[in-house]
Amino acid sequence: MRERSGTPNLHESVGTMLKGMARLISRVHKVKHGEQQEGQHYNIPHQDLKTVFPHGLPPRFLMQVKTFSEACLMVRKPALELLQYLKNTNFAHPAVRYILYGEKGTGKTLSLCHVVHFCAKQDWLILHIPDALRWVKNCRDLLQSTHNKQRLDQPLEASTWLKNFKTSNERFLSQIKVQEKYVWNKRESTEKGSPLGEVVEQGITRVRNATDAVGIVLKELKRQSSSGLFHVLVAVDGVNALWGRTTLRREDKSVIAPEELALIHHLRKMVKNDWNGGAIVLTLSQTGSLFKPRTAYLPQELLGKEGFDALDPFIPILVSNYSPKEFESCIQYYLENNWLQHEKAPTEEGRKELLFLSNANPGQLERLCAYL
Amino acid sequence: MAAPSVKAVRGWSGLALGVRGVVLRLPGLTQVRWSRYGPEYQDPRIDGEYYRKPMAKLTEEEKYERELRKTQLIKAAPATKTSSVFEDPVVSKFTNMMMKGGNKVLARNLMIQTLEAVKRKQFEKYHAASAEEQATIERNPYTIFHQALKNCEPVIGLVPILKGGHFYQVPVPLADRRRRFLAMKWMITECREKKHRRMLMPEKLSHELLQAFHNQGPVIKRKHDMHKMAEANRALAHYRWW
Repeated sequence: MRERSGTPNLHESVGTMLKGMARLISRVHKVKHGEQQEGQHYNIPHQDLKTVFPHGLPPRFLMQVKTFSEACLMVRKPALELLQYLKNTNFAHPAVRYILYGEKGTGKTLSLCHVVHFCAKQDWLILHIPDALRWVKNCRDLLQSTHNKQRLDQPLEASTWLKNFKTSNERFLSQIKVQEKYVWNKRESTEKGSPLGEVVEQGITRVRNATDAVGIVLKELKRQSSSGLFHVLVAVDGVNALWGRTTLRREDKSVIAPEELALIHHLRKMVKNDWNGGAIVLTLSQTGSLFKPRTAYLPQELLGKEGFDALDPFIPILVSNYSPKEFESCIQYYLENNWLQHEKAPTEEGRKELLFLSNANPGQLERLCAYL
Repeated sequence: MAAPSVKAVRGWSGLALGVRGVVLRLPGLTQVRWSRYGPEYQDPRIDGEYYRKPMAKLTEEEKYERELRKTQLIKAAPATKTSSVFEDPVVSKFTNMMMKGGNKVLARNLMIQTLEAVKRKQFEKYHAASAEEQATIERNPYTIFHQALKNCEPVIGLVPILKGGHFYQVPVPLADRRRRFLAMKWMITECREKKHRRMLMPEKLSHELLQAFHNQGPVIKRKHDMHKMAEANRALAHYRWW
């Protein structure tokens, strides 16, 4: 059965406010995640939320964080497996690619966030792209790239990403130095040896050059990651966007292929395993994908032949629905936060019905418990 | 005022037993709503407890009832009535009233988004309040919903009665079901019409429900207006003959 430690609040950080609620679920320290902590929730302090996750958490989870005024993630098998691999990475070898795949609502994005948080605590440099699918659809302004005439720029998306990158990796921006001179336009240029922070600033202030700034950041990080000073974690959610189709069109109504978008082009280069000194964790997503059937969830189906060949070889990690122990733990968490307000919800019959209606799918269970 | 239930005259030739065929036509009475089931059809029993009781625990009457139901004709259960523990007849009725054009999917989604919105607002208030106030804040969306509708029910209503060529608004006691219907109708009309064009239904409905829960807001005001009109017209009360 699910273990419940008698001592509440094992490791709470200063940021979380308790309001006198006695916690029966163990809160475990991130570093000590092991087999026996499976099914238990762990808390992310508010300070970490602001620095590590300026973007990247799913919207329903953000609503839950706001309502409960705490961010609790469940420790699950796929994430534990990934953490095990990451702890034993050999940084001399080329970067290993891990792909989290699974049906809709099983927890791929949150597992990715768990891994990102762990690596942030271990002082890795995090390159977190929250949703690559947002870069291939509904983009308002597309500019022709100055660097390469065939490609197209996306200034808005690039600048928002740079802002969030800056918040999450402040301390690295002053340490890493660029190894080339970059000329932006007639008046502005970045000299060789200046910190990476300057490039990021240039991208944020001059929105026209934001996409090029992103490209430069990725190139420099790839080049310098093998130096051993820092480790790079590339975390991309919805990586099937890089090899699918887009819904964007040019002014003459011709369809744009993903390779013609500069951001996608840079990301593809980053996700290739020709660099060492870090790891690449990817997630597939059918929910926002374009022109893919609803029931598709396997890597071959969502990535297509081109994507699969580009990402081959990779380590696939299946994220499935809750096991009975995890389901009980989730219900217990909701009950302790008084989220399940219906009188019949804590009873045996209520739980059986919730299990039946949600099929132990984490996303469905969350939506069910929201109105009960 | 309600039309009395008209008994069916069953024709023997060719009609299925129990289905209403030719109805007795009384002068001056029009059939308003009827069901295709005859009077010998029993209502179905949906609750799981009834069927899960082991045979040993049944009393004599219950055993007799079970045996009797094996031979009786039973109506088909409607698709919306489930044996779920979370089912609420008031919520179902409200969802049906909110439905437009048979789009039950949309109506149900709006309803559950409303309940979620009510719950989240109450949780925010709870976290922002001090310890003494926390005991008074109600967080169960279902209790808030029921209490709000109960607070909106009028006690007395007005009915137009024709006397001497003029229609007079006569105060009249309302039946329970009419009161519940009026409360729900007023709530839905208020939320549909008096809102900003871009505001969504769950947001507005959750706001109105919370106001009605505290006995404030436009729906409660409409109930009070109805009571005041009835009070003002109380001289006409003797026009009522039932």
